[in-house]
Amino acid sequence: MSTPSFMHSNQAIAEGAIAAGCRFYAGYPITPSTEIAESLSGRLPEVGGVYIQMEDEIASMAAVIGASLGGLKSATATSGPGFSLMQENLGFAVVGEVPCVIVNVQRVGPSTGLPTKVAQGDVMQARWGTHGDHRIITLYPSSAQEAFDLTVKAFNLAERFRTPVILLSDAVVAGLLEKVDIPDPADLEVVSRARPTVAPEQYRPFDYSSSDIPPLAEFGSGYRFHITGLLHDESGAPTEDSEVVARWWAYMQRKLDDHLDEILDWDEILLDDADTAVVAYGCTARSAEHAVELARERGHRVGLLKLKTIWPFGDAIIDQLADRIDRFVVPELNLGQIRLEVQRVVGGRAKVEGINRADGLQISPEQILDVIAEKALA
Amino acid sequence: MMTVETPEMTTWESLQDVFEIVSRRGPDPIILSSIPYLPGDEHRHTHFPVVLGPPGRVISMAVGLRAALPDTPLLLVTAADSATLGTNHLIHTARRNIGMTVLMLYSDLLETGDIPVDRTGWTSTGYQVEMEQAETPLEWAIALQASLVGRGSLLNPSEFANLIVEAVETPGFSVIGVTGDPTLRTEVMSRRSDWPEYFATYRAWSEGMAPSPPSSIRPVPPAQPRSSTPARIEVRIAGIGGQGVKLAGTVLSEAAALGEGLWATQFGDYGSATRGGPSRVDVVMGSRPISYPAADNSDILIVLSREAAAAHLTHAGPGAACVADEGTVEPGPGGPLIVPITQLAREHAGTPIATGVTSLGCVAALSDAVALSSLKIALPTRIPERSVESNLRAMEAAYKLTADLIRGNQT
Repeated sequence: MSTPSFMHSNQAIAEGAIAAGCRFYAGYPITPSTEIAESLSGRLPEVGGVYIQMEDEIASMAAVIGASLGGLKSATATSGPGFSLMQENLGFAVVGEVPCVIVNVQRVGPSTGLPTKVAQGDVMQARWGTHGDHRIITLYPSSAQEAFDLTVKAFNLAERFRTPVILLSDAVVAGLLEKVDIPDPADLEVVSRARPTVAPEQYRPFDYSSSDIPPLAEFGSGYRFHITGLLHDESGAPTEDSEVVARWWAYMQRKLDDHLDEILDWDEILLDDADTAVVAYGCTARSAEHAVELARERGHRVGLLKLKTIWPFGDAIIDQLADRIDRFVVPELNLGQIRLEVQRVVGGRAKVEGINRADGLQISPEQILDVIAEKALA
Repeated sequence: MMTVETPEMTTWESLQDVFEIVSRRGPDPIILSSIPYLPGDEHRHTHFPVVLGPPGRVISMAVGLRAALPDTPLLLVTAADSATLGTNHLIHTARRNIGMTVLMLYSDLLETGDIPVDRTGWTSTGYQVEMEQAETPLEWAIALQASLVGRGSLLNPSEFANLIVEAVETPGFSVIGVTGDPTLRTEVMSRRSDWPEYFATYRAWSEGMAPSPPSSIRPVPPAQPRSSTPARIEVRIAGIGGQGVKLAGTVLSEAAALGEGLWATQFGDYGSATRGGPSRVDVVMGSRPISYPAADNSDILIVLSREAAAAHLTHAGPGAACVADEGTVEPGPGGPLIVPITQLAREHAGTPIATGVTSLGCVAALSDAVALSSLKIALPTRIPERSVESNLRAMEAAYKLTADLIRGNQT
């Protein structure tokens, strides 16, 4: 059973957060993400949660980390300018392995940019925005339904892997008002972090020898340990021992790389017999899907690979397609951030072309169709 | 009066004793700090839970911890300097009076060299401070009306421990200056008790609230389009901010989904200005799920301003049904139908904000996809009750005028 409702994607993100068990939100409202804060300011107190508007996005991200350490599933939402401010504490959450969800509804940047206009320019910032090498999970919906579903997934992955998860959206997806099927709570898979079962004296919050993710005790529950932005040993104490640090790096890579089957999410649309694949995400995937429909009507053998997990990048998906696809077309509202990733994996086996704009307008289906048809004529 | 007899202790050991004393009164205290090394620490660390975070930012981390843990003492150990890095956080945490105690360490406790770099305003050395005013974080905390502001010396351990316990037990935000100077008198500098603590107040306010999905979330039946409905119908309504264009899109898409059982998507493009700037809403509906949500090739186009007419009418395809508000285009053969939409909105609803909703009457007259009856069902949940009837009258008037014009054109 489910309750189909009509709502904006931003509201669907708020509802997804509530359904996933989010009970703390700290943020600073910013276009085009504001409706997420607005919705949660009403919904959280109804379910015993806490909403707080902070002084800025630095503080918002810090408060989210604090609340998560205290045991609450926690989130914030922002747009590019705020996302930039969050990078410092985002790095802390990565190193401290603190589960949390950060929503970035993209608009045109850099800086204040075009505040109400759509862009997808923060894809690489999501990957590399905080300093230092690290792994990160980033999901990206293209509809109000996916906004709900991927928000739930974002919390589940954050809790499962003790990591910040970034949910990217954009000004177009945010403003879509569409039908959303909200599953009954009983039918919804909700993951909560593993709690330690050992006695407090035996608890090792960063047990890198483990093949799985070490459980996380909430602060104040009798398990005394340290969380620090410094690189640390298995007890959480800062260390400069290069052997321990090397073990930490290996663990930090393994903890996501070994579980890609749980993280990667994508849709293949009409790709079975295709010689051309459009690779798209977010609002651009909507244009691409329409372009593929129009191109099919004209007899082009073209399909769509819609990415819903952006990071880690789905190398294996592209790799397997590259063996049978002649040509990849990658439309993006940036100057080619994911196109370079596709090119890297394709490695010369197929042609890779970008369609790019960052002027605040969407890529139209016709623009994509023209590129698809160009090749067919040649 | 508690007594602590440990005369030759390091800074960290002295603080550790204070944490122990605090822990005797209830739950484990959580220590937040941005100082990785304190003289005497050498990573032997307190056995209490510690968050070692970026300077200044730990103040806001404590805000989140307080939201999660109502009764746990939160002790922030910070240098006065690093607190100034988080002055913004200090101001707002004090303003909200969030329950935590900041131990602001004077630089004599942090420096192991001979030259103390004092930036707390208690003394002044170093060339930079001769060129600028010293920082005075304790005075700021007093000005911010923190619940308790005081100072004391680790070398007067019993008095100091009592001050910290008092600060922890004082609801709300407290700041204690900490020095190693034994001549400094331990004192409470400021007290303010008539200020609500944020999370305690929040919890009291929200207690007993029941989950109730907001009325703006509308349950919709499964899509059941009529066989005659096209796969895709694109409607664009364009005007300026303040005409209710976005609302019109919302009502239209809900009418399509709820009343007609169609797939429907609404997508808007607005400028930064809430009034006067260009505003546009696209509703795409049809018998199949909607991929591209914009109405670039509008089947129905309504323009409500001169600018919108100039921007959109030229792009309308040959099959498009276009309506222009009176005064936005020059009348002429082959042009759009001209309906005095704003005038109808003013006449019936008394306000130009109803222009967008009024224009939905034109949409209903131009297309079989969404009936006037479906619009009538969708409208009431989206506008104040007192305005429903007058808005419906305006919408019906626009419907009738448009239908008459179409009939006139056909005869």
